[in-house]
Amino acid sequence: MRKKLVLIVSLLLVASIALAACQTTTPPVGEQPPAEDGIKVCQITDTGGIDDKSFNATAWKGIQDAVELHGVEGKFLESEEVADYEKFLNAFLEEDCDLIVTVGFLIGDATKAAAEANPDAKYSIVDYNYDPAIANVVGQIFDTDEAGALAGYLAAGVTKTGIVGTFGGLPIPTVTIFMDGFVKGVELYNQAKGTEVKVLGWDVETQTGLFSNSFDDQQKGNELAKSLMDEGADIIMPVAGPVGLGAAAAIKERGNAYLIGVDSDWALTSPDYADIILTSVMKLMDATTLQVIESVIDGTFVGGDVIGTLANGGVAIAPYHELESLVPAELTAEIEQLKADIISGAVSLD
Amino acid sequence: MTTSTNTIEHKVIHDVSPTRKLAIGISEVLIALLIFVVFALNVSGELTTRFVMTPGGINQGTMPDIVMPSQLTLFSLAGIVLAIGIFQLVKGFGKQTNLMVGIAGLFLMLAFLVWQAAGTSVNLAGMLSSAVLLAVPITLGAFSGILAERCGIVNISIEGMMLMASMTATIAGSLSKNIWVGLLGGIASSVLLALILGVLSIKFKVNQTISGTVINIFSAGMTGFISQKFLQMIPHLNQPTMFPRVPLPLLADIPLIGPILFNQNIFVYLMFIILIVLQVALFQTRWGLRFRSVGEHPKAADTLGIDVIKTRYIGVILSGVVAGIGGAFFTLGSVGRFDEGMTAGKGFIGLAAMIFGNWMPLGSLGAGLLFGFADSIGSKLSLLRSVIPPQFMAMAPYLITMIVLAGFIGKGQAPAAEGEPYEKE
Repeated sequence: MRKKLVLIVSLLLVASIALAACQTTTPPVGEQPPAEDGIKVCQITDTGGIDDKSFNATAWKGIQDAVELHGVEGKFLESEEVADYEKFLNAFLEEDCDLIVTVGFLIGDATKAAAEANPDAKYSIVDYNYDPAIANVVGQIFDTDEAGALAGYLAAGVTKTGIVGTFGGLPIPTVTIFMDGFVKGVELYNQAKGTEVKVLGWDVETQTGLFSNSFDDQQKGNELAKSLMDEGADIIMPVAGPVGLGAAAAIKERGNAYLIGVDSDWALTSPDYADIILTSVMKLMDATTLQVIESVIDGTFVGGDVIGTLANGGVAIAPYHELESLVPAELTAEIEQLKADIISGAVSLD
Repeated sequence: MTTSTNTIEHKVIHDVSPTRKLAIGISEVLIALLIFVVFALNVSGELTTRFVMTPGGINQGTMPDIVMPSQLTLFSLAGIVLAIGIFQLVKGFGKQTNLMVGIAGLFLMLAFLVWQAAGTSVNLAGMLSSAVLLAVPITLGAFSGILAERCGIVNISIEGMMLMASMTATIAGSLSKNIWVGLLGGIASSVLLALILGVLSIKFKVNQTISGTVINIFSAGMTGFISQKFLQMIPHLNQPTMFPRVPLPLLADIPLIGPILFNQNIFVYLMFIILIVLQVALFQTRWGLRFRSVGEHPKAADTLGIDVIKTRYIGVILSGVVAGIGGAFFTLGSVGRFDEGMTAGKGFIGLAAMIFGNWMPLGSLGAGLLFGFADSIGSKLSLLRSVIPPQFMAMAPYLITMIVLAGFIGKGQAPAAEGEPYEKE
């Protein structure tokens, strides 16, 4: 009896561990010819997972691009909880990864600690940077407010109720910079047109607003979108990773509002919602990640920052796809002009 | 022995001790002062608060907006709460004490909203409607817990069961293109996990907390694995249709109540049906008495010829059925797709709601609604640019739970034999 029991429990545990192991050490799909120079790039995701259709996925795409272009080897580990960061950083160090890519603000401290303890290893962190810079870490950061402002201007031009809304996952700088830009864009539109379009969910002055306090709880995203629509918002930008998909479900159910995606082009990553996605504020971290990998390959890797901007194509807004008919040609032209003005510095977002 | 202790504890619940009477009276007076000093005196006299009384996107059971002068309303609310507090201090409400605490708490929240929304409008009906939806998985989780614990099994694997059910429901629903098959698939997977829990804790007498934890870990790993390996790669596995909103004839036309309770999707109705069935079956039928006796004193039940083992298996399986419905809600009733970890701890919060509700179905529903309400009022306050930090609102329900568990409202009574494996002699 006792033995049987021990057997069952151990089997269950082994199964769970095996499953957990499968999911985290899976090599990417497709051929993996080991590179001649044997460069190995290893990514550690935050708790959103490699398929978050958002920045973990986009950074991973950068690594896959490098696999295709330069024949490097790509690997990833997915963090289930905050305690995994340090564990995974050590695991990759033992694997002799040539570049360890970590993703997100939340993993910032762990990456810093690992980089300082191992000055010979190379690190790059997506969506975070250090001041002062660390010699063996490249921070990839994005002036997302530039693209956010374009989205805000667009939203203000398209809204029928005169109210647009946004909410974030957690009040952290990489999230709120989207919201700052969005509000600025609406303000620019109001200045240019003398309108009074209102933004719900974010106050630039006090830096307070609406948050789901989670990047997993999609039901909460659903509820927040309904709450915003109840108060009259007809265009909503959720800056909360997959939680935004809960908002998309709510918007689709009501059928009288639109969504602005974040991080990647949601009309492509979530095609079932393409009919409600006005545009997306994209961070093209695949480009910046590839850039860092290339610097490792040609030996020019130096610690510091890589900044994605409208000017270098590191941030952008996605095409309007199915909703192009909602955007008058005049508005499209104004947004192009605003983009040029932001790049040239004629319009300041500060 | 057990019965006599129970009656004594029941007395403790109803008889308000002098200290509690005083403490509650003082709290109520303080609430009144808070409404008066912080809220009412900080609002200028001419502002009005507009409550929208119909949730967005609904055209049945509409109701005109309510516009009230903010300051006057706050003064009256403070007055009423003050009267309650003074009466409590002087005479005491006796058995009605908890009800009066509840009313004072409700007025505090209302006053808070009136204050925050002074000079603008807030969709009160939308907030309540959201609260009901947010309460669904929490309440179903609590019901699932009640079914297991009332017959003596501690089920902390509700979270894992829900997670597994939400994923299976998505896959079954997407493959069959039939939403009901999806729901049944979700329930089946959750029942399977419940059976494992049953075998481990009834047959092999494993510590129930450990077997529950094992199931939670297993579910998280399994769903994560399948999600990454299959659901993300093959999108049509992850596109179930969703249960639409079904307005109930006539009931949906009642102003305010109709849109909030009777114009929702099937999960809300299932929640109420399970509530009624559970309340009646557990407390009004012979089956229920036997079921509960197994959770309170299995040896006595066995002596009377009740099959303890069988009853516990039935309890665990029913617990799995209800958790399965709760899990399917996430994908088929709320979001329409599965993503890792999307149950976000609701199964555990459900257990808290169960304890809060004193292992009673109706009480658990109340607790679930309170948690849902705290959640939805939190988002409305953020929208109104409240001075209260959103993190504080997010933790409010748990603070309330701790206050309740600490004995402010009365002592909870867990089934006496829960967590103890039954060994037949």
